[in-house]
Amino acid sequence: MSLMLTCPVCGRRNGYEFRYGGEDKGPRPEEDGLTPRAWCDYVHMNRCAAGPVKEWWFHRDGCGSWFTTWRDTTTNLEIQPPEDSE
Amino acid sequence: MSRLEHLPTLRIDPSLTLPLHYRGKTRYGVSGDTVATALFADGVRIFGRSLKYHRPRGLYSLDGECANTTMAVDGVPNVRTETTPLVSGMRVAVQNVMGFPEFDVMGFMDRLSPFMPAGFYYRILHKPAMIWPLALKSIRKAAGLGKISPDFRTIGTFEERYLHADVCVVGGGAAGMSAALAAAESGLRVILLEARPWLGGCWDYRSGADSDALPLYERSRELAREVADEPRIRVFCRTPMIGAYNDNLVTAVQSGGEDEGFTERYIEIRAQSVVVATGCIERPLLFENNDRPGVMQVGCAHRLARTYGILPGKTAVFSVGHDMGLEAAVDLSELGVEVLCVADAREDGQHPGLVRALTERGIPLLRGWVAARAFGKRHVKKAAVTTVEGTVRREFACDLLVASAGLSPVTGPLTVAGARLAYDVHTGYFLPEALPCGVHAAGRLLGWNDPGAAEASGRLAGVRAAADCGKTVDSDAAEAALAAHPGPESGCKLVTAPVAGKKAFVCFDEDATVKNVRQAIDMGFDVPELIKRFAAVGLGPGQGGIPGHNLPLLAARYRADTAPPRPTTVRSPLVPALIAAYAGAQRDMCKRTPLHRLQERDGGVFRRTGVWKRARYFSDDTECREEILAVRNGVGMLDASTLGKFRIHGPDALNALQRVYVSDMRKVGSDRVKYSAMCNDDGCVIDDGVAVKIGENDYYFTTSTGRAGATVEWIRYHTRFDEWDFHLVNLTDALGVINLAGPDARTVLESITDADVSNEAFPFAGYRTFRVDGWIPVRAMRLGFVGELSFELHAPSSFMPALWDRVAEAGKPHGIRNFGMEAQNVLRMEKGHVILGQESEQRTNLLDLGLGFLWDRSKTDAATVGAVALEQAEDDPDRLTLVGIEMDDPDRPAKDGSVIVDDRIRGYVCTLRRSVTLNRAVGMALVEAPLSAPGTHLEIFEDDCNGQRLKAKVVPMPFYDPEGKRMKG
Repeated sequence: MSLMLTCPVCGRRNGYEFRYGGEDKGPRPEEDGLTPRAWCDYVHMNRCAAGPVKEWWFHRDGCGSWFTTWRDTTTNLEIQPPEDSE
Repeated sequence: MSRLEHLPTLRIDPSLTLPLHYRGKTRYGVSGDTVATALFADGVRIFGRSLKYHRPRGLYSLDGECANTTMAVDGVPNVRTETTPLVSGMRVAVQNVMGFPEFDVMGFMDRLSPFMPAGFYYRILHKPAMIWPLALKSIRKAAGLGKISPDFRTIGTFEERYLHADVCVVGGGAAGMSAALAAAESGLRVILLEARPWLGGCWDYRSGADSDALPLYERSRELAREVADEPRIRVFCRTPMIGAYNDNLVTAVQSGGEDEGFTERYIEIRAQSVVVATGCIERPLLFENNDRPGVMQVGCAHRLARTYGILPGKTAVFSVGHDMGLEAAVDLSELGVEVLCVADAREDGQHPGLVRALTERGIPLLRGWVAARAFGKRHVKKAAVTTVEGTVRREFACDLLVASAGLSPVTGPLTVAGARLAYDVHTGYFLPEALPCGVHAAGRLLGWNDPGAAEASGRLAGVRAAADCGKTVDSDAAEAALAAHPGPESGCKLVTAPVAGKKAFVCFDEDATVKNVRQAIDMGFDVPELIKRFAAVGLGPGQGGIPGHNLPLLAARYRADTAPPRPTTVRSPLVPALIAAYAGAQRDMCKRTPLHRLQERDGGVFRRTGVWKRARYFSDDTECREEILAVRNGVGMLDASTLGKFRIHGPDALNALQRVYVSDMRKVGSDRVKYSAMCNDDGCVIDDGVAVKIGENDYYFTTSTGRAGATVEWIRYHTRFDEWDFHLVNLTDALGVINLAGPDARTVLESITDADVSNEAFPFAGYRTFRVDGWIPVRAMRLGFVGELSFELHAPSSFMPALWDRVAEAGKPHGIRNFGMEAQNVLRMEKGHVILGQESEQRTNLLDLGLGFLWDRSKTDAATVGAVALEQAEDDPDRLTLVGIEMDDPDRPAKDGSVIVDDRIRGYVCTLRRSVTLNRAVGMALVEAPLSAPGTHLEIFEDDCNGQRLKAKVVPMPFYDPEGKRMKG
């Protein structure tokens, strides 16, 4: 796999070792007053942006941690977080 | 044919002959031959017939750039014989020939070409509609190259390698070797890939234009020795690069040599920097009958003589557009070929030394002349040459026409690495406008034809690659060294000879001519990429190697474009690769339980389930009658070691369990197991199992076999925002499990342990730890998956064989039997217990399965995964519901997965068996809610029911022991 990812514990490793965990959408919304629509959107709707995306990855064949990293979906390269991201 | 034996450039050993079989005869090549050179040396000139017109085809490039010489070798079709090393005893057969290569019955197709303009099958053969299937059938029969049998199986050993290097150099010619040496000298680890079996590139067989300098073949061997002596360079020969991906990932396929123990090997190389020095191929010259056997490229003719010791012909005419053509003419004349004339499409720019050498040998050099036509039906007999304007024409009787319009850089590796190409007016090449980060190019690819410049450009690329890897290097010095040599030469711009182009082939593989390209343009296809597809130019096995450079030039010329020509695209694999090579070694990697051998000994029939091999049956009886009856009436034992087994401990262990399990896990006790399930965010069930508390903030839980691998990931994912403090240990492989089940299970267990296992001391759902025989530590659970009194005994894997033997021995007086997966499947189905994945699919939620009682709605603060969706699904009337069904005919059970229908599909059968315990055919099915009431009649459709629907009705579950007396007793 051409993708390389940087695990916070194990360092920069081949993409084969990781499992994709989807776009980062933040913590789950509060359950009080949650409409089915809002819940479904949280679970299933993605931005699918072309460009920098913050994503969750799991180091399956390594330390077993979940972490977020930024990837440019147009080049499939891991990138530094954009400056206005946090 | 006798070989030229004493050339210093030979790569064959003429003293070692190797037999091969072709057309019913044994012929002989020599060690070092390719299949094609061995046949050529034996007198074979026609290697096959072309795709559409069945024209004879022969050796052309010797590098496998066209399908001319693809043949069936040892039953494998479409083998590129030009690049396939000869192995003793190979069986070779021609392709796409009806009759003989010399007399092809389908040869008349050539005269039908006026009726087959570009894209004729798209445009003509679809009206009326009925003609298409007929046309398709006859075209398929007449056209096409190799044939493959549906039973064909690739034979060979295939493997994969994943390598890392600082610098990966693609191309082992002078520039590539220089780049590798320069990078290695700065202390870097280098991988050097070369498509041919040896390093040297085009220097391997050449002396060079400058007669005073060291011959190029000696210099390239010198460089190859330096490379071999450099321990930091790993050389892979017979390894063409096939692809390039992000982050400098280079893929290649290596063909194994005879003694290397592998057929092909897929290699993935991760490098910090990549140098591409793939050099040039030749740009084919377009003239009438430019595909005739006897017409070949300069390198092909030259290498036949210098590398393989075979004279390519007796009397030759050369029509070339670059100095290597003049060099070959001089050299071949030296070796004994009579060269009648050298037509050079260039007016000037020839190397003075070569012009002098031609003059000395009395070979006329016709500047501004070009071959216009080859004569001869099956082989070249005569060649016509004209001035490039077409005004004057002369003919020469010859058996060899060496033709080449110019050079074409092999830019495929750069294109797949992401470089954009643009037309370079000086060289006439398509060259990279800019190179991707960490990629460099060197050598003749960029037009550095001068030997000194080729080496210097290689060293410069090597130095730049070292800079990419963080080395401090003097790239100014390397640049200055390159600048001291002559720059890239101006390339020959000739597009076609002055001919009509009816039989001037742009692409050999698809029989596409200059005329076809013009037709496509006339029909409105203006972009080379579209012409390529419509006129099928470069879609064949050669992957654009022959037409890739000419097509854009031709299109630009014909359209009188003022804008520069635009190249067509190449894609990986850059050279044909066997799918088997991509697939790699097909090892059946599976896990075996600690009891595998013992079950094998007992006659277990194993099946793959997920990552495991598990015993499905213990006899030929797929109904498992005896296994089932033993559990129902006596006692049986099952290896359940594949169950997922986990320990979770730490201050937040309970929080994590609360999050993923639907039940209130605070109620999990230390002497009772709790059965619960996990759902996903949609409320769909993904896992079920039991949990027990084994200490303070310390729990032991099981998952289903299939979920064991994903459990840690799952729990960590759903707690990733919480920063909870807990630790998960996967004990799946550390512990094994025996399920001891049946009315006599307790008696058996009592006889091997001192612990009190009576119903009072160890009731249903209880959890106890004790030792068997005083030494085997066991965690025991009273469960009832199969509907009988049963004990699940969990013990460390290393103790499992001993425990298994002990249980078997103690059970002997009670007739204990092994039972397998299928028996368990029937037993639990009779009891109405579900197996996730069998009674559920992706859309099945907790409520559909009737497991809603597990869900504790009061623990809202736990944010249980799936709870939100379950609340929302609760009032949804359009869901499938799990019900018990019974077949009207007990001897005709429906198959698992058959559909329940009326006028549409209303559900499906999950598991259904003829029950030997109940003498009924019963099972479970997921049906639409309106059909779920007991007594409802159902109709079942399955594949081989011959339109006769099977009848069944909904019945209450469980079918066996509804009160659970046996399980809890």
